[in-house]
Amino acid sequence: MDARIFSLFLVGITAATASVDVLAQQTPPPVIEPDLDRREVREADIDSENFEIGVFAGQISIEDFSTSSIVGVTLGYHITENIFAEASYAQADAGQTSFEILSGGAPFLTDDEREYTYYDLSVGYNFNGELFISEGTVFNTDFYLTLGGGSTDFGGESQFTLTLGGGYRVLLTDYFAVRLDVKDHIFSSEIIGEEKDTHNIQYTLGATFFF
Amino acid sequence: MRAVVLGFCLLFALGLQAVKAEELEVKVVEPFVDVHTGPASEFPVFHAVERGETITVLKSHTGWYKVRTRDGKEGWIAKTALAATIDLDNRELLLAESDFAGYQGRTWEFGVFGGRLDDVNAMSVSAAWILTDNIAAEISATQALGDFSDNRMWLVRVQHYTFPEWRFSPYFTLGAGQIRTEPSATLVQSGAESRTNDLLEVGAGVRYYLMRNFVMRAEYKRLTALTERDELEELNQWTLGFSVFF
Repeated sequence: MDARIFSLFLVGITAATASVDVLAQQTPPPVIEPDLDRREVREADIDSENFEIGVFAGQISIEDFSTSSIVGVTLGYHITENIFAEASYAQADAGQTSFEILSGGAPFLTDDEREYTYYDLSVGYNFNGELFISEGTVFNTDFYLTLGGGSTDFGGESQFTLTLGGGYRVLLTDYFAVRLDVKDHIFSSEIIGEEKDTHNIQYTLGATFFF
Repeated sequence: MRAVVLGFCLLFALGLQAVKAEELEVKVVEPFVDVHTGPASEFPVFHAVERGETITVLKSHTGWYKVRTRDGKEGWIAKTALAATIDLDNRELLLAESDFAGYQGRTWEFGVFGGRLDDVNAMSVSAAWILTDNIAAEISATQALGDFSDNRMWLVRVQHYTFPEWRFSPYFTLGAGQIRTEPSATLVQSGAESRTNDLLEVGAGVRYYLMRNFVMRAEYKRLTALTERDELEELNQWTLGFSVFF
Protein backbone atom coordinates (compact mmCIF):
# COMPACT_ATOMS: atom_id res chain seq x y z
CA MET A 1 0.00 0.00 0.00
CA ASP A 2 2.68 2.35 1.05
CA ALA A 3 4.73 1.46 -1.99
CA ARG A 4 1.81 2.27 -4.30
CA ILE A 5 1.27 5.67 -2.71
CA PHE A 6 4.96 6.35 -2.95
CA SER A 7 5.10 5.40 -6.64
CA LEU A 8 2.04 7.57 -7.32
CA PHE A 9 3.78 10.38 -5.54
CA LEU A 10 6.86 9.86 -7.71
CA VAL A 11 4.76 9.80 -10.88
CA GLY A 12 3.09 12.99 -9.76
CA ILE A 13 6.40 14.73 -9.20
CA THR A 14 7.72 13.57 -12.57
CA ALA A 15 4.60 14.80 -14.29
CA ALA A 16 4.82 18.12 -12.52
CA THR A 17 8.46 18.68 -13.49
CA ALA A 18 7.71 17.59 -17.04
CA SER A 19 4.87 20.08 -17.30
CA VAL A 20 7.12 22.81 -15.92
CA ASP A 21 9.64 21.86 -18.60
CA VAL A 22 6.97 22.12 -21.25
CA LEU A 23 5.92 25.49 -19.90
CA ALA A 24 9.50 26.69 -20.02
CA GLN A 25 9.79 25.60 -23.59
CA GLN A 26 6.60 27.32 -24.56
CA THR A 27 7.51 30.76 -23.22
CA PRO A 28 10.38 32.25 -25.27
CA PRO A 29 13.57 32.65 -23.23
CA PRO A 30 14.03 36.26 -22.08
CA VAL A 31 16.52 38.21 -24.16
CA ILE A 32 19.56 38.66 -21.97
CA GLU A 33 21.96 41.39 -22.93
CA PRO A 34 25.43 39.84 -23.08
CA ASP A 35 27.12 41.10 -19.97
CA LEU A 36 30.32 42.29 -21.66
CA ASP A 37 32.45 44.44 -19.49
CA ARG A 38 32.70 47.41 -21.85
CA ARG A 39 33.89 49.95 -19.39
CA GLU A 40 35.32 53.03 -20.99
CA VAL A 41 39.06 52.53 -20.57
CA ARG A 42 40.98 55.45 -21.89
CA GLU A 43 44.68 55.84 -22.46
CA ALA A 44 44.83 58.06 -19.38
CA ASP A 45 43.72 55.12 -17.20
CA ILE A 46 46.71 53.01 -18.18
CA ASP A 47 49.32 52.61 -15.49
CA SER A 48 52.22 54.89 -16.30
CA GLU A 49 55.58 54.14 -14.76
CA ASN A 50 57.60 57.33 -15.07
CA PHE A 51 58.59 57.85 -11.44
CA GLU A 52 61.49 55.94 -9.92
CA ILE A 53 61.89 55.68 -6.14
CA GLY A 54 64.86 54.00 -4.54
CA VAL A 55 67.33 53.45 -1.74
CA PHE A 56 71.07 53.11 -1.96
CA ALA A 57 74.05 52.30 0.23
CA GLY A 58 77.77 52.35 -0.30
CA GLN A 59 80.98 54.13 0.55
CA ILE A 60 81.93 57.78 0.37
CA SER A 61 85.42 59.14 0.57
CA ILE A 62 85.11 62.48 2.38
CA GLU A 63 88.18 64.52 1.54
CA ASP A 64 90.58 64.69 4.54
CA PHE A 65 88.13 62.69 6.69
CA SER A 66 88.74 59.12 5.49
CA THR A 67 86.06 56.87 4.01
CA SER A 68 82.65 56.16 5.53
CA SER A 69 79.57 54.20 4.66
CA ILE A 70 76.66 56.19 3.26
CA VAL A 71 72.94 55.50 2.85
CA GLY A 72 70.39 57.53 0.95
CA VAL A 73 67.14 57.76 -0.97
CA THR A 74 66.32 58.91 -4.50
CA LEU A 75 63.22 60.05 -6.32
CA GLY A 76 63.40 60.38 -10.08
CA TYR A 77 61.12 61.31 -12.94
CA HIS A 78 61.73 59.98 -16.44
CA ILE A 79 60.96 62.69 -18.94
CA THR A 80 61.82 60.92 -22.19
CA GLU A 81 63.36 57.56 -22.98
CA ASN A 82 66.75 59.27 -22.55
CA ILE A 83 66.36 62.15 -20.11
CA PHE A 84 65.49 61.94 -16.43
CA ALA A 85 65.60 64.21 -13.41
CA GLU A 86 66.44 62.95 -9.96
CA ALA A 87 66.56 64.24 -6.41
CA SER A 88 68.68 62.45 -3.83
CA TYR A 89 69.35 62.77 -0.14
CA ALA A 90 72.00 60.85 1.77
CA GLN A 91 73.78 60.70 5.09
CA ALA A 92 77.18 59.55 6.33
CA ASP A 93 79.28 59.95 9.46
CA ALA A 94 82.71 61.30 8.61
CA GLY A 95 85.77 59.61 10.10
CA GLN A 96 88.92 61.21 11.46
CA THR A 97 91.62 63.08 9.60
CA SER A 98 95.07 61.52 9.42
CA PHE A 99 96.31 64.27 11.72
CA GLU A 100 93.72 63.45 14.40
CA ILE A 101 94.66 59.77 14.25
CA LEU A 102 98.43 60.32 14.28
CA SER A 103 98.53 63.02 16.93
CA GLY A 104 95.87 61.43 19.11
CA GLY A 105 94.99 64.99 20.09
CA ALA A 106 91.82 67.01 20.21
CA PRO A 107 89.30 66.28 17.45
CA PHE A 108 88.69 68.90 14.76
CA LEU A 109 84.93 68.49 14.78
CA THR A 110 82.22 67.55 17.24
CA ASP A 111 80.12 64.46 16.58
CA ASP A 112 77.28 66.63 15.26
CA GLU A 113 79.60 68.43 12.88
CA ARG A 114 80.96 65.12 11.65
CA GLU A 115 77.52 64.22 10.28
CA TYR A 116 77.73 64.55 6.51
CA THR A 117 74.40 65.04 4.72
CA TYR A 118 73.61 66.27 1.26
CA TYR A 119 70.78 66.71 -1.16
CA ASP A 120 71.05 67.28 -4.86
CA LEU A 121 68.90 67.70 -7.93
CA SER A 122 70.37 66.14 -11.05
CA VAL A 123 69.55 65.75 -14.69
CA GLY A 124 70.61 62.48 -16.28
CA TYR A 125 70.98 61.09 -19.77
CA ASN A 126 70.34 57.39 -20.41
CA PHE A 127 72.20 55.36 -22.99
CA ASN A 128 69.85 52.43 -23.42
CA GLY A 129 71.25 48.95 -23.79
CA GLU A 130 70.92 45.29 -23.02
CA LEU A 131 72.81 42.94 -20.76
CA PHE A 132 73.15 39.36 -21.96
CA ILE A 133 73.61 37.05 -18.97
CA SER A 134 73.28 33.88 -20.98
CA GLU A 135 71.84 32.90 -24.33
CA GLY A 136 68.27 33.01 -23.09
CA THR A 137 68.52 35.63 -20.35
CA VAL A 138 68.63 39.28 -21.27
CA PHE A 139 67.92 42.41 -19.23
CA ASN A 140 67.31 45.95 -20.43
CA THR A 141 69.87 48.37 -19.03
CA ASP A 142 70.79 52.04 -19.00
CA PHE A 143 74.21 53.51 -18.71
CA TYR A 144 73.71 57.10 -17.61
CA LEU A 145 75.57 60.30 -16.86
CA THR A 146 74.24 62.89 -14.44
CA LEU A 147 74.94 66.53 -13.64
CA GLY A 148 73.42 68.34 -10.72
CA GLY A 149 73.61 70.84 -7.94
CA GLY A 150 72.68 70.81 -4.31
CA SER A 151 73.82 71.47 -0.81
CA THR A 152 76.13 69.61 1.57
CA ASP A 153 75.94 70.01 5.35
CA PHE A 154 79.27 69.17 6.90
CA GLY A 155 81.47 70.61 9.63
CA GLY A 156 78.73 72.97 10.79
CA GLU A 157 78.38 74.56 7.36
CA SER A 158 76.19 74.28 4.28
CA GLN A 159 78.00 74.50 0.99
CA PHE A 160 76.76 74.69 -2.58
CA THR A 161 77.73 71.38 -4.16
CA LEU A 162 78.24 70.40 -7.77
CA THR A 163 77.52 66.75 -8.46
CA LEU A 164 78.91 64.74 -11.38
CA GLY A 165 77.91 61.15 -11.73
CA GLY A 166 77.66 58.06 -13.83
CA GLY A 167 75.85 54.82 -13.31
CA TYR A 168 74.46 51.59 -14.62
CA ARG A 169 70.84 50.50 -14.16
CA VAL A 170 69.80 46.91 -14.79
CA LEU A 171 66.04 46.44 -15.09
CA LEU A 172 65.32 43.02 -13.62
CA THR A 173 61.62 43.55 -14.41
CA ASP A 174 59.74 46.47 -15.98
CA TYR A 175 59.43 48.14 -12.61
CA PHE A 176 62.32 46.89 -10.49
CA ALA A 177 65.94 47.82 -11.12
CA VAL A 178 69.31 47.53 -9.42
CA ARG A 179 71.77 50.38 -9.86
CA LEU A 180 75.45 50.97 -9.46
CA ASP A 181 76.30 54.65 -9.09
CA VAL A 182 79.50 56.64 -8.88
CA LYS A 183 79.19 60.31 -7.95
CA ASP A 184 81.63 63.08 -7.22
CA HIS A 185 80.41 65.87 -4.94
CA ILE A 186 82.51 68.99 -5.36
CA PHE A 187 82.26 71.84 -2.87
CA SER A 188 84.59 74.38 -1.39
CA SER A 189 85.54 73.91 2.23
CA GLU A 190 87.74 75.64 4.74
CA ILE A 191 87.42 73.14 7.58
CA ILE A 192 91.09 72.21 7.39
CA GLY A 193 92.19 75.83 7.24
CA GLU A 194 92.61 77.42 3.87
CA GLU A 195 89.67 77.32 1.44
CA LYS A 196 89.86 74.66 -1.25
CA ASP A 197 87.62 72.67 -3.58
CA THR A 198 87.05 69.23 -2.12
CA HIS A 199 86.12 66.13 -4.12
CA ASN A 200 84.01 63.61 -2.28
CA ILE A 201 83.60 60.49 -4.36
CA GLN A 202 80.99 57.91 -3.53
CA TYR A 203 80.12 54.60 -5.06
CA THR A 204 76.85 52.98 -4.13
CA LEU A 205 74.59 50.07 -4.95
CA GLY A 206 70.87 50.76 -5.05
CA ALA A 207 67.46 49.26 -5.72
CA THR A 208 64.66 51.24 -7.34
CA PHE A 209 60.98 50.80 -8.15
CA PHE A 210 59.19 52.44 -11.04
CA PHE A 211 55.64 53.58 -10.37
CA MET B 1 60.97 52.71 14.04
CA ARG B 2 59.99 49.16 13.22
CA ALA B 3 56.35 50.21 13.07
CA VAL B 4 57.23 52.98 10.64
CA VAL B 5 59.07 50.56 8.38
CA LEU B 6 56.20 48.07 8.56
CA GLY B 7 53.72 50.82 7.78
CA PHE B 8 55.80 51.92 4.85
CA CYS B 9 55.94 48.35 3.50
CA LEU B 10 52.18 48.01 3.90
CA LEU B 11 51.54 51.29 2.11
CA PHE B 12 53.90 50.21 -0.61
CA ALA B 13 52.11 46.87 -1.03
CA LEU B 14 48.74 48.65 -1.08
CA GLY B 15 50.14 51.08 -3.61
CA LEU B 16 51.24 48.22 -5.82
CA GLN B 17 47.74 46.74 -5.54
CA ALA B 18 46.14 50.05 -6.38
CA VAL B 19 48.19 50.62 -9.49
CA LYS B 20 47.34 47.15 -10.75
CA ALA B 21 45.68 48.70 -13.53
CA GLU B 22 43.26 49.01 -16.32
CA GLU B 23 44.12 47.25 -19.52
CA LEU B 24 43.11 48.65 -22.86
CA GLU B 25 42.39 46.60 -25.98
CA VAL B 26 43.07 48.20 -29.33
CA LYS B 27 43.05 47.12 -32.97
CA VAL B 28 45.87 47.90 -35.38
CA VAL B 29 44.78 49.76 -38.54
CA GLU B 30 48.21 50.63 -39.94
CA PRO B 31 49.82 47.99 -42.20
CA PHE B 32 51.97 46.91 -39.22
CA VAL B 33 53.30 48.06 -35.85
CA ASP B 34 56.86 47.36 -34.70
CA VAL B 35 57.23 45.80 -31.25
CA HIS B 36 60.50 46.60 -29.47
CA THR B 37 62.13 44.66 -26.62
CA GLY B 38 62.31 47.78 -24.44
CA PRO B 39 60.84 51.25 -24.01
CA ALA B 40 63.17 53.18 -26.34
CA SER B 41 63.72 53.37 -30.06
CA GLU B 42 67.22 51.91 -29.64
CA PHE B 43 65.87 48.54 -28.45
CA PRO B 44 65.60 45.96 -31.25
CA VAL B 45 62.33 45.15 -33.02
CA PHE B 46 61.49 41.50 -32.39
CA HIS B 47 57.93 41.29 -33.67
CA ALA B 48 55.45 43.07 -35.91
CA VAL B 49 51.71 43.24 -35.26
CA GLU B 50 49.71 43.14 -38.50
CA ARG B 51 46.69 45.16 -39.57
CA GLY B 52 43.50 43.93 -37.93
CA GLU B 53 45.18 42.23 -35.00
CA THR B 54 44.06 43.10 -31.49
CA ILE B 55 46.62 43.99 -28.84
CA THR B 56 46.30 44.69 -25.12
CA VAL B 57 48.00 47.80 -23.74
CA LEU B 58 49.40 47.07 -20.28
CA LYS B 59 51.37 50.13 -19.12
CA SER B 60 53.39 53.10 -20.29
CA HIS B 61 56.88 54.40 -19.68
CA THR B 62 57.70 57.87 -21.04
CA GLY B 63 56.54 57.79 -24.69
CA TRP B 64 56.28 53.98 -24.90
CA TYR B 65 53.53 51.46 -24.24
CA LYS B 66 53.91 47.86 -23.18
CA VAL B 67 51.56 45.63 -25.16
CA ARG B 68 50.59 41.96 -25.25
CA THR B 69 49.65 40.32 -28.51
CA ARG B 70 46.96 37.65 -28.86
CA ASP B 71 49.60 34.91 -28.86
CA GLY B 72 51.12 36.19 -25.63
CA LYS B 73 54.14 38.12 -26.88
CA GLU B 74 54.94 41.16 -24.75
CA GLY B 75 56.91 44.16 -25.99
CA TRP B 76 56.91 47.93 -26.33
CA ILE B 77 55.40 50.14 -29.04
CA ALA B 78 55.90 53.87 -29.57
CA LYS B 79 53.22 56.39 -28.66
CA THR B 80 52.86 57.38 -32.32
CA ALA B 81 52.07 53.74 -33.14
CA LEU B 82 49.44 53.54 -30.40
CA ALA B 83 47.90 56.79 -31.61
CA ALA B 84 47.32 55.11 -34.99
CA THR B 85 45.15 52.33 -33.54
CA ILE B 86 41.40 52.19 -32.93
CA ASP B 87 39.45 50.77 -30.02
CA LEU B 88 37.15 47.76 -30.32
CA ASP B 89 34.17 50.01 -31.09
CA ASN B 90 36.12 51.28 -34.11
CA ARG B 91 36.65 54.70 -32.61
CA GLU B 92 39.87 56.65 -32.65
CA LEU B 93 41.90 56.31 -29.51
CA LEU B 94 41.97 59.26 -27.16
CA LEU B 95 45.56 59.79 -26.08
CA ALA B 96 46.33 62.07 -23.18
CA GLU B 97 47.08 65.47 -24.57
CA SER B 98 50.68 66.42 -24.05
CA ASP B 99 50.70 69.36 -26.39
CA PHE B 100 49.90 73.06 -26.11
CA ALA B 101 46.20 72.32 -25.55
CA GLY B 102 47.16 70.06 -22.66
CA TYR B 103 49.40 72.81 -21.33
CA GLN B 104 46.49 75.23 -21.27
CA GLY B 105 44.39 72.73 -19.34
CA ARG B 106 47.02 71.88 -16.74
CA THR B 107 46.24 71.67 -13.02
CA TRP B 108 49.59 71.12 -11.29
CA GLU B 109 53.04 72.39 -12.03
CA PHE B 110 56.33 71.49 -10.30
CA GLY B 111 59.54 73.37 -10.94
CA VAL B 112 63.26 73.43 -10.25
CA PHE B 113 65.22 76.66 -10.54
CA GLY B 114 68.77 77.91 -10.26
CA GLY B 115 69.93 81.50 -10.02
CA ARG B 116 71.36 84.28 -7.93
CA LEU B 117 70.08 85.86 -4.75
CA ASP B 118 71.98 89.14 -4.71
CA ASP B 119 75.52 87.80 -5.26
CA VAL B 120 75.02 84.25 -3.98
CA ASN B 121 74.06 81.02 -5.80
CA ALA B 122 70.50 80.00 -5.04
CA MET B 123 68.40 76.93 -5.79
CA SER B 124 64.62 76.69 -5.58
CA VAL B 125 61.85 74.17 -5.92
CA SER B 126 58.21 75.07 -6.42
CA ALA B 127 54.74 73.58 -6.66
CA ALA B 128 51.84 75.46 -8.23
CA TRP B 129 48.12 74.85 -8.42
CA ILE B 130 46.55 76.42 -11.49
CA LEU B 131 43.27 77.95 -10.33
CA THR B 132 42.03 79.60 -13.53
CA ASP B 133 43.46 80.33 -16.96
CA ASN B 134 45.04 83.46 -15.52
CA ILE B 135 45.75 82.76 -11.87
CA ALA B 136 47.91 80.22 -10.07
CA ALA B 137 48.86 79.72 -6.44
CA GLU B 138 52.43 78.62 -5.83
CA ILE B 139 54.64 77.67 -2.92
CA SER B 140 58.40 77.77 -3.28
CA ALA B 141 61.43 76.96 -1.15
CA THR B 142 64.89 78.40 -1.79
CA GLN B 143 68.32 77.76 -0.40
CA ALA B 144 71.10 80.26 -1.06
CA LEU B 145 74.57 79.36 0.14
CA GLY B 146 77.05 82.19 0.46
CA ASP B 147 80.51 82.52 1.92
CA PHE B 148 79.14 84.23 5.01
CA SER B 149 75.70 82.75 5.51
CA ASP B 150 73.22 80.04 4.63
CA ASN B 151 69.84 81.52 3.66
CA ARG B 152 66.67 79.47 3.43
CA MET B 153 63.38 80.99 2.45
CA TRP B 154 59.85 79.95 1.62
CA LEU B 155 57.18 81.93 -0.17
CA VAL B 156 53.48 81.58 -0.87
CA ARG B 157 52.82 83.35 -4.14
CA VAL B 158 50.00 84.31 -6.45
CA GLN B 159 50.85 84.43 -10.13
CA HIS B 160 48.95 86.19 -12.86
CA TYR B 161 49.37 84.96 -16.43
CA THR B 162 48.43 87.97 -18.49
CA PHE B 163 48.26 86.18 -21.84
CA PRO B 164 47.69 82.47 -21.08
CA GLU B 165 47.02 81.74 -24.77
CA TRP B 166 50.55 82.70 -25.77
CA ARG B 167 53.29 80.10 -25.98
CA PHE B 168 55.80 82.70 -24.81
CA SER B 169 54.01 84.58 -22.10
CA PRO B 170 54.79 87.10 -19.35
CA TYR B 171 53.51 86.79 -15.80
CA PHE B 172 53.50 88.75 -12.57
CA THR B 173 53.71 87.56 -9.00
CA LEU B 174 53.04 88.74 -5.45
CA GLY B 175 54.08 86.74 -2.45
CA ALA B 176 54.85 86.53 1.23
CA GLY B 177 56.96 84.20 3.32
CA GLN B 178 59.97 83.99 5.57
CA ILE B 179 63.74 84.00 5.26
CA ARG B 180 66.10 82.34 7.75
CA THR B 181 69.72 83.43 7.72
CA GLU B 182 72.36 81.37 9.48
CA PRO B 183 75.85 82.81 9.56
CA SER B 184 78.63 80.41 8.57
CA ALA B 185 80.70 78.74 11.28
CA THR B 186 83.57 81.22 11.17
CA LEU B 187 81.17 84.10 11.77
CA VAL B 188 79.38 82.28 14.59
CA GLN B 189 82.69 82.31 16.42
CA SER B 190 82.75 86.08 16.04
CA GLY B 191 79.30 86.43 17.59
CA ALA B 192 76.85 86.58 14.67
CA GLU B 193 73.46 84.97 15.27
CA SER B 194 70.96 83.29 13.05
CA ARG B 195 67.71 85.16 12.47
CA THR B 196 64.31 84.69 10.82
CA ASN B 197 62.47 87.54 9.12
CA ASP B 198 59.18 87.94 7.33
CA LEU B 199 59.47 88.48 3.63
CA LEU B 200 57.40 90.23 0.97
CA GLU B 201 57.88 89.63 -2.70
CA VAL B 202 56.94 91.25 -5.99
CA GLY B 203 58.15 89.78 -9.24
CA ALA B 204 57.80 89.37 -12.97
CA GLY B 205 58.80 86.63 -15.35
CA VAL B 206 58.34 84.97 -18.68
CA ARG B 207 57.40 81.38 -19.40
CA TYR B 208 57.83 79.41 -22.58
CA TYR B 209 56.05 76.16 -23.39
CA LEU B 210 58.84 73.86 -24.60
CA MET B 211 57.33 70.49 -25.51
CA ARG B 212 55.34 67.61 -24.04
CA ASN B 213 54.74 68.68 -20.44
CA PHE B 214 57.63 71.09 -19.99
CA VAL B 215 57.80 74.79 -19.44
CA MET B 216 60.86 77.00 -19.18
CA ARG B 217 60.68 79.93 -16.79
CA ALA B 218 62.84 83.00 -16.21
CA GLU B 219 61.98 85.28 -13.33
CA TYR B 220 63.02 88.36 -11.40
CA LYS B 221 61.92 88.89 -7.80
CA ARG B 222 62.31 91.90 -5.56
CA LEU B 223 62.31 90.72 -1.94
CA THR B 224 61.81 92.89 1.10
CA ALA B 225 62.83 91.40 4.45
CA LEU B 226 61.03 93.01 7.39
CA THR B 227 63.93 93.29 9.81
CA GLU B 228 63.91 94.77 13.29
CA ARG B 229 66.47 97.29 12.25
CA ASP B 230 65.45 100.76 11.07
CA GLU B 231 65.97 100.08 7.42
CA LEU B 232 64.36 97.26 5.45
CA GLU B 233 66.60 94.76 3.73
CA GLU B 234 66.06 94.60 -0.04
CA LEU B 235 67.14 91.53 -2.02
CA ASN B 236 67.10 90.81 -5.74
CA GLN B 237 66.66 87.29 -7.05
CA TRP B 238 67.09 86.11 -10.63
CA THR B 239 66.11 82.57 -11.53
CA LEU B 240 65.99 80.35 -14.56
CA GLY B 241 64.40 76.92 -14.50
CA PHE B 242 62.07 74.28 -15.78
CA SER B 243 58.74 73.06 -14.64
CA VAL B 244 56.76 69.99 -15.47
CA PHE B 245 52.94 70.08 -15.49
CA PHE B 246 50.19 67.49 -15.10
